[in-house]
Amino acid sequence: MLTGERSGGNKSNTSPAENYYLARRRTLQVVVSSLLTECGFESAEKAAVETLTEMMQSYITEVGRCAKASCEHTARSTPTLSDVVITLVEMGFNVDTLPVYAKRSQRMVITAPPVTNAPVIPKSLVAGQKRTHPAYIPSHFPEFPDPHTYIKTPTFREPVSEYQVVREKAASQRRDVERALTRFMAKTGETQSLFKDDLTAFPLIAARPSSIPYLSALLPSELELQALEETDSSEQDDQTDTENNHNNNIHDDTGADKENAVLPPGGVVPTVKNNEENMIDNPYLRPVKKPKVRRKK
Amino acid sequence: VIGFVELTIFPTVVNLNRIKLNSKQCRIYRVRVNDLEAPFIYNDPTLEVCHHESKQRNLNYFSSAYTAAVSAVDPDAGNGELSIKVPSELWKQGDEMKVLKVYIEFSLDQPKGGLHFVVPDVEGSMAERGAHVFSFGYQNSTRFWFPCVDSYSELCTWKLEFTVDASMVAVSCGDLVETVYTHDMRKKTFHYMLPIPTAAPNISMAVGPFEILVDPYMHEVTHFCLPQLLPLLKHSMSFLHEIFEFYEEILTCRYPYSCFKTVFVDEAYMEVSSSASMSIFSTNMLHSGMIIDQTPMTRRCLAQALAQQFFGCFISRMSWSDEWVLKGISGYIYGLYLKKTFGVNEYRHWIKEELDRIVDYELKMGGVLLHPTFTGGKEKENPTPHLHFSIKHPHTLSWEYYKMFQCKAHLVMRLIENRISMEFMLQVFNKLLSLANTASSQKYQSHMWSQMLLSTSGFLKSISNVSGKDIGPLIKQWVDQSGVVKFFGSFAFNRKRNVLELEIRQDYTSSGTQKYVGPIKVTVQELDGSFNHTLQIEENSLKHDIPCHSKSRRNKKKKIPLMNGEEIDMDLSAMDSDSPLLWIRIDPDMAILRKVEFEQADFMWQYQLRYERDVVAQEEAISALEKFPTAASRLALTDILEQDQCFYKVRMQACFCLAKIANAMMSTWTGPPAMKSLFTRMFCCKSCPNIVKTNNFMNFQSYFLQKTMPVAMALLRDVHNLCPKEVLNFILDLIKYNDNRKNKFSDNYYRAELIDALTNSLTPAISINNEVRTIDSLNPDVRLILEEITRFLNMEKLLPSYRNTITVSCLRAIRMLQRNGHIPSDPSLFKSYAEYGHFVDVRVAALDAVVDYTRVERSADEFQWLLDMVQNDPIHYVRHKILSLLAKNPPFTRAAESSLCNEALVDQLWKLMNSGTSHDWRLRCGAVNLYHTLFGLTRPSCLPLPELGLVLNLKEKKAVLNPTIKTEQGPGGPELFPTQDEEDIDMETVHDSQAFIYHHLNMLDRPSTPEHHHHHHHHHHHEHKKKKKKHKHKHKHKHKHDSKDKDKDKERDSHAFSNSPASGRSMRSPSLSD
Repeated sequence: MLTGERSGGNKSNTSPAENYYLARRRTLQVVVSSLLTECGFESAEKAAVETLTEMMQSYITEVGRCAKASCEHTARSTPTLSDVVITLVEMGFNVDTLPVYAKRSQRMVITAPPVTNAPVIPKSLVAGQKRTHPAYIPSHFPEFPDPHTYIKTPTFREPVSEYQVVREKAASQRRDVERALTRFMAKTGETQSLFKDDLTAFPLIAARPSSIPYLSALLPSELELQALEETDSSEQDDQTDTENNHNNNIHDDTGADKENAVLPPGGVVPTVKNNEENMIDNPYLRPVKKPKVRRKK
Repeated sequence: VIGFVELTIFPTVVNLNRIKLNSKQCRIYRVRVNDLEAPFIYNDPTLEVCHHESKQRNLNYFSSAYTAAVSAVDPDAGNGELSIKVPSELWKQGDEMKVLKVYIEFSLDQPKGGLHFVVPDVEGSMAERGAHVFSFGYQNSTRFWFPCVDSYSELCTWKLEFTVDASMVAVSCGDLVETVYTHDMRKKTFHYMLPIPTAAPNISMAVGPFEILVDPYMHEVTHFCLPQLLPLLKHSMSFLHEIFEFYEEILTCRYPYSCFKTVFVDEAYMEVSSSASMSIFSTNMLHSGMIIDQTPMTRRCLAQALAQQFFGCFISRMSWSDEWVLKGISGYIYGLYLKKTFGVNEYRHWIKEELDRIVDYELKMGGVLLHPTFTGGKEKENPTPHLHFSIKHPHTLSWEYYKMFQCKAHLVMRLIENRISMEFMLQVFNKLLSLANTASSQKYQSHMWSQMLLSTSGFLKSISNVSGKDIGPLIKQWVDQSGVVKFFGSFAFNRKRNVLELEIRQDYTSSGTQKYVGPIKVTVQELDGSFNHTLQIEENSLKHDIPCHSKSRRNKKKKIPLMNGEEIDMDLSAMDSDSPLLWIRIDPDMAILRKVEFEQADFMWQYQLRYERDVVAQEEAISALEKFPTAASRLALTDILEQDQCFYKVRMQACFCLAKIANAMMSTWTGPPAMKSLFTRMFCCKSCPNIVKTNNFMNFQSYFLQKTMPVAMALLRDVHNLCPKEVLNFILDLIKYNDNRKNKFSDNYYRAELIDALTNSLTPAISINNEVRTIDSLNPDVRLILEEITRFLNMEKLLPSYRNTITVSCLRAIRMLQRNGHIPSDPSLFKSYAEYGHFVDVRVAALDAVVDYTRVERSADEFQWLLDMVQNDPIHYVRHKILSLLAKNPPFTRAAESSLCNEALVDQLWKLMNSGTSHDWRLRCGAVNLYHTLFGLTRPSCLPLPELGLVLNLKEKKAVLNPTIKTEQGPGGPELFPTQDEEDIDMETVHDSQAFIYHHLNMLDRPSTPEHHHHHHHHHHHEHKKKKKKHKHKHKHKHKHDSKDKDKDKERDSHAFSNSPASGRSMRSPSLSD
């Protein structure tokens, strides 16, 4: 069962594992063939045998998986016989028939599969010392993973400290990115050209009128805002502040509207005092009144 | 827009039988006087200035006809487009001086002027789209959107009501009393009350889905901007309270209105327009905290707007000829604000700049007259014969002239200040304001309101009352007379007498000049100190002897005292050993509107530049040094450039001068190109001098210098008249290594100027037989430049810069490449950028390129394209701008022959100014200006000789259908010809046009009779009540009423004066009454 379980994970391993897998598969094939013989078949097509082998394998795998599951369900780590039995029952197998079947007369004995060397787990990268548990951790807890999984191994090249080279690099990198990007945009979109004979030289992304041109021209781009955040955090605070207020304002408006709509017609609208905005007596912040005539109705 | 106006009139004379109001493009449904239907006549002679004379094409004729037309509807003369006949039943009541109420119902359908609708073509509701509307106009233009007495001198109180969609905010003059929903809850009505008497032209309004910001410092002040711009608004308005405080402090007077509103709108007509208690600004003035260059500009505009609130809106003018006082005072106190905020250097620099502007304009175009007096009203006595337009009305003025007029007005105010001291000046302002304040709280009947109107004589009287000084000669010289003074000065030093012999000559014969007689200040810097001398300029004396204080012997140990008391060491080796003179300045305080050309030796200019502390002197020295390309000049300029105590604008100017000197000294120049090592030292890394430091614009002075230096450097030329390779590579490196990541400020202006530097480095290509430019023939340097421009322009599409400054610079650069023959000349790129939908700065830059193309290539197609845009573009500012660009860079002039100049063009332009621009005074004057530039005052030479016979166009055909009486063809002669209102021929109105056949009746004998009725001045009390509903139409040919309309009701209550109708003759017209 355990073998079946492992097969899934080991497929893509190196050649010893491959060998192991092949050997197991061969054994299974032998089992299938002998069962067939038992049942009275004299020959079988290769494809049929393969299919049956496959079925057998998946059955065993499933039994193994379920057994493991039920074992883990009861907070154990090794499946016991009862786990297997339950699994078999669950899979609709009549367990009572199993001893009888095992003791049947015409049973063929199959030689144990040739012992193959168990797959060699490739040696993990040795890095640092493997840590043992500190004193306060009971020993039954899992061990620390291999050090290479958590040890930071600083690898670096000598940084280019020469200012000129750095600037040079930054500049040319940015230029290349910009050029590539604009070329791409120009290639994928409409372009205008400065030369009549060669439309591809110096392609200019076509000017496209926008319906609200002032927005893009006046508002700082996200990139600039980002840069601003990086350079000056106080500025950034300002920015968010204003945004919050902006939301506040909208809320105020709609809030006032709603309130008004709920109020009985003609009623005096109380000003909301807990909101700071409303403390300022500005006619534009006052709520909108309902028409007066309604009261008469 | 549907509106309703109610006026209450208090007749002050008997036999009031006609009332004249101003109204343009409004369709009037009915007029009632005291509940009685009143017949009315609608006639607007300015719609089509010259009728019938289809072959008359000379500008003199047009100007006089236009002036006559404007006079015929001038409210100050008691005229108006709308003439209402008071029903005879009420005559008796009028005789008893009882109140008359006039009710007018009207609508506005797709107004072409007065109101501007901005409706972005995107998805969503009107509010989501940011659609808005605002009123605009040049001078008194309120008549475009409701019938009124459209004069600055007719005051009344107002009640205004606007009913708009619930998602919109209506902002208007006065206090918002309340906001009420309509019954269906889908609309809101804004009720405004303006208790301070205000003239109709000072009324404005704006409606839109504005975001509202209450000023955190002053809760009476509210700011409005379009959606999404609130953060910018918050930043841009954060200092407004300082301006408020400043003005209130210097005027010792509170802001006259109880509230103030600023509205920022798109597609604004002007950057700033002020009206009672509110100002409408262009939304493009808003900026974030990262923008350096726009900040002072926005502050200046705000300060200007606020100054106009006091003088212009609150205190209004008595008549057009008093305009200069208000413009002068508001400009003057704005100048005081500049001085306080931006410093004395900036202020003096600004005064010099303004003075240079007015001097240049007057010398080129002829004098600017501040206070025209029209005695006798005869056309012959034109005080400004050199101009191609009449200055009798604001509506006939060229825009350029008006700008110069304002400029001169505030300079003259400054001269008055020099004369009577600032203290008295402010006292005068305070007195005017407090008088007006008292008057404003009075009732109409108390006849106090005239205190709120300012006239020239009233202003002068209060000056003499307060200061006790007679400023008559000053006023006579600069206000009643046009022109500036032009001085030429030279000197000699007489060693024997130890006397400076100064000669000052004047040129007062050429155009735009006048003769000056009076005192003039001369400052002489000698070795022993600086001495002021006041000389008297008289008729015949040219020479003036000024005794010197110091002996010419040189005391090397001694420090030299300066004007400001400072004592400094100077290297005196450069000066003439015989003379103790270091430098001489004529009129250093700019106390005369003058141009001075003064001759002194180059070393004197150099001393002046180095050691004189006045920025004006330094700037004068810099421009003088251009003529002395010597090593000493070079050294002086370089030293100034390096001195960081020196005013940054002086240093910027020094850059350009240095470039010129370097070019003149080409053969003897040693060392690296001018400014390169300086720039390297100031802005490049210590370790690798070819790489510029990462940007840090915390120090604005060095920021401006960093921007300017490359631009000036690019002007350097080598022996082949090419930009030196070294300089070009240097600029390309600046672009390459530009790194703004660590900067708190945006570098868009800096990058734009680097592109300008590339543009400046271009020189004409060597062309062989005008062959077509191809890529293969591209100069390798130009290829590099072009690559940068392409990249910048493309990046701008992805990451647009503030106000698209980079696109603007790129367009300029591309046009320059074309003009210099590096790449094929082709306008299509610019035309696409000039289309509606691009940012306005970009459009103007592209249009400038197209205009330039039109001139260079003499392209009729492009010229036609531009003129079409003038007629059809949705943005008024752009239309105006095209005309002024064309006038500045004309495709041909009257002097030169051109294939473009043909009859069809003449006709088209004529039509444009005659009838095509009747909705916008400024545009019409722009068209007149262009016509003048192209053809001059007389009949265009390309036209065939005038033939007999009339060509009737469609409109005139209509005219013929009606009985036409043609008696005379001269201007001012009695003419009577009904024509159909132009706007009523629109498709949209066909179905009801029969109801609106207004007959245009050119009022008889108006020009000839003003004297007779002038003093009649009946004072009527008007009470306006007005309801307005407005609908937005899509501009389609089909009649299409959208349901998402903004509706608007409007009501106002007003008290106004109105003049009596000119004559007792009544004219019947088939007016409607439904």
